[in-house]
Amino acid sequence: MESLLPFVPHLAHQALFGALAAAGFGVLFNFGLKALPWCAAAGALALAVRTIGQDLAWSLEGATFAAAIVTSCSVSALRRALGPACNAVALAGCIPMVPGAFFGQALLGFFAVTAPHPADAVETFVMASEHIIRVIFTLGAIGAGLVIPAQLLKNQDF
Amino acid sequence: MDSNTQDSVVVRHRDLERYANAALKAGRIMMESGASVSVVHRGITMIAKGFGVETVGLRSGYASIAMTLRAEETTITRMLHLGRLGVNHRLDLAVRELCARAETGGMSVEAVEAELTRLVRETPRHAPWFTAVAVGLACASFGRLLGIDWLSFGPVLLGGTLGQYLRHHLLHRGVNIFLVAGAIAFFAATVGGLGSLALQSTTVHLAMMASILLLVPGVPATNAQADIMDGYPTMGSARAVWVLMIMVFAAVGVWFAEALLGIRG
Repeated sequence: MESLLPFVPHLAHQALFGALAAAGFGVLFNFGLKALPWCAAAGALALAVRTIGQDLAWSLEGATFAAAIVTSCSVSALRRALGPACNAVALAGCIPMVPGAFFGQALLGFFAVTAPHPADAVETFVMASEHIIRVIFTLGAIGAGLVIPAQLLKNQDF
Repeated sequence: MDSNTQDSVVVRHRDLERYANAALKAGRIMMESGASVSVVHRGITMIAKGFGVETVGLRSGYASIAMTLRAEETTITRMLHLGRLGVNHRLDLAVRELCARAETGGMSVEAVEAELTRLVRETPRHAPWFTAVAVGLACASFGRLLGIDWLSFGPVLLGGTLGQYLRHHLLHRGVNIFLVAGAIAFFAATVGGLGSLALQSTTVHLAMMASILLLVPGVPATNAQADIMDGYPTMGSARAVWVLMIMVFAAVGVWFAEALLGIRG
């Protein structure tokens, strides 16, 4: 128990900013004000699960998949309250896990490799390739983690 | 009276055309509001079945939806052009509710069309300033998740907020979405980077990247995968290419911002 205590502030930090990011994007996606707390809760849950997974030394992709599955299942359990919006709430909750920064860094790395005289071209290329692979796998993990429970639990779309 | 109006085949054709147009309009709104292809197809089918159509065939591309309707030995095919695909959850949900109501069969074509028009006109949207602040906060939160220090939090918040506000106005004026992505990435990354430099943050590069995360098309990226898994690989691939193009333009914007601030050699 004592070994877990130092981890709690980090977990709370990740959950808090996951919630804020999900709610912020919920506004951009024009969720109603009543649905925004659900988006925030889904974002907090997703980031909490991913953080715990990474603390257990899971890969980013594996932890992201687990987070998306847990978020989708949890939101599905609330489908009576949320109705057809439940899949969208789960998606909003997973938005903070979309690896946009990796994507950008991968593209910037590829730009750097194509410069006339690139420094450390091999290292840069390997790093950019690693980033793009992580983007593909992480997006796949989010998509699969969201879709599998929704399909199995037959969430209503209408 | 015109002989065409008395011809039962012509009358059936005209009725089917009205059914197709109403159902396709609902599909267009759902698609433009961020629904996946399978949801759009089900919604269109629900409305058409509510009008008494026997069979419905559908095909969706990135820029259009085509449908074939058949009723009483009469068949027609109609296609509708799609506008820019965005995300509008409340409008999407409202149209889905309309589809469910229309499926029960109690609504006329005129009633469905009037309701669609009303929903487009009256479904509320958040004020642009509120959306901009929320997006700025989301970018700064993303930044914290990526590991920016607290000194960069404010500049990223400011860059994301101003970037979203500018993006809203540029898109409203009809500027090409890819050019907007490049320009906003340059602007937001410059604001986030300059502020972080001024505050002597140690995470300037991350702060610049976090400032442009408003441009990452998360919903289209997951919709691309959902479409492929639902059996629509053409549309899924089109969405994925669109996501890649947006990110290329955004990365170019960041590249120029980094060059301007002398962060990348």
